[in-house]
Amino acid sequence: MMGDQFRKVEQFSPKSSPRGARSPVVSRQDSSGTLKTTILLGKNPSIVPSGPFYLLKEPPGESELTGATNLMAHYNLEHSYSKFSGKKLKEQLSSFLPSLPGVIDSPGQQDNSSLRSVIDKPPICGKEILPLSSVQLDGFRLHPGPLPEQYRYANQAPIKKHKNKHKKHKHKDGSLQSQEVGPVAEAGPDTHEKKHKKQKRHDDDKERKKRKKEKKRKKQKHSPEHSAGGMTPSQHGSN
Amino acid sequence: MASSLENLESQLELFAENVRQIHIIVSDFQPQSQNVLNQKLQSLVHGLQEVDKLKTQVQEVHVPLEVFDYIDQGRNPQLYTKDCIEKALAKNEQVKGKIDAYRKFKANMLLELSRTFPNELNKYRALRSNIPE
Repeated sequence: MMGDQFRKVEQFSPKSSPRGARSPVVSRQDSSGTLKTTILLGKNPSIVPSGPFYLLKEPPGESELTGATNLMAHYNLEHSYSKFSGKKLKEQLSSFLPSLPGVIDSPGQQDNSSLRSVIDKPPICGKEILPLSSVQLDGFRLHPGPLPEQYRYANQAPIKKHKNKHKKHKHKDGSLQSQEVGPVAEAGPDTHEKKHKKQKRHDDDKERKKRKKEKKRKKQKHSPEHSAGGMTPSQHGSN
Repeated sequence: MASSLENLESQLELFAENVRQIHIIVSDFQPQSQNVLNQKLQSLVHGLQEVDKLKTQVQEVHVPLEVFDYIDQGRNPQLYTKDCIEKALAKNEQVKGKIDAYRKFKANMLLELSRTFPNELNKYRALRSNIPE
């Protein structure tokens, strides 16, 4: 059995070896996991395991830090652990950044504001940041007046609607219109296509309500007292 | 390190506040607001310059990429820290359980072997001086 285990070894003259036909003693820094064997050269080269036990390896060195140690205590993280596990952390990003304006709890992929996109497609940097010249500032001459409808409520948080309340409280008062805010879903055809059917119907309902309210506003502007027998908008327009 | 992060945080907050004010001006623009808007735009560029200056102070700060996934989902990044600590604790307990199980197995094995092969085990103990009898 031992004879079957000999390997081909390099042939060199046993006369040059100080230990004769036996392999030289080579000191190694880390001998853990190595087999204690003796390589015999000569006519019948063979590898003979030394010691009474076959395939006895040197054990790995003892380590002070193992998985059996309380690593939290070792790295002084017990305070951090108690801090994070004790108090209930809120799920939303806005609870971590309360002073940041706008809607930040929505996924970044929706409005192309994800950090992952910055890593995947890093922006061009290294150029000097210079103040805007007067010519460049001329490009920021704006037309007076309010923003178009689709951009107006972009930064406001959407109100959590409950279905029952939605049916019960149908707002007729125009002043409450500012509260009925939704995400800018109709901004582009791509976002519209991606939304679920329910969300589509929800957005359509919002649009219809907004149009109705605009019409009512216009009516109120033209004829503030409906019950006093005021003129219809068409009659008012003719005057 | 902490002060440089605080500096960056305050600078970014000022920048965000500036952008918010520009949004208010633009949402219902009046011609007399043009000068104010121009000033705000210049301060926007100045804010970017200030943030750019601070980059050298925070170069040694390493952020794990997984935190970005939490932020992109609109979740609190402190939840990532909490999840990491909990995972580390669970893994620590798991590994400790394995080590303890192996220790018990070794002790039982030595005991049974010493009963079955007493002479061989004495030779083995002589080779491995760290094994108690």
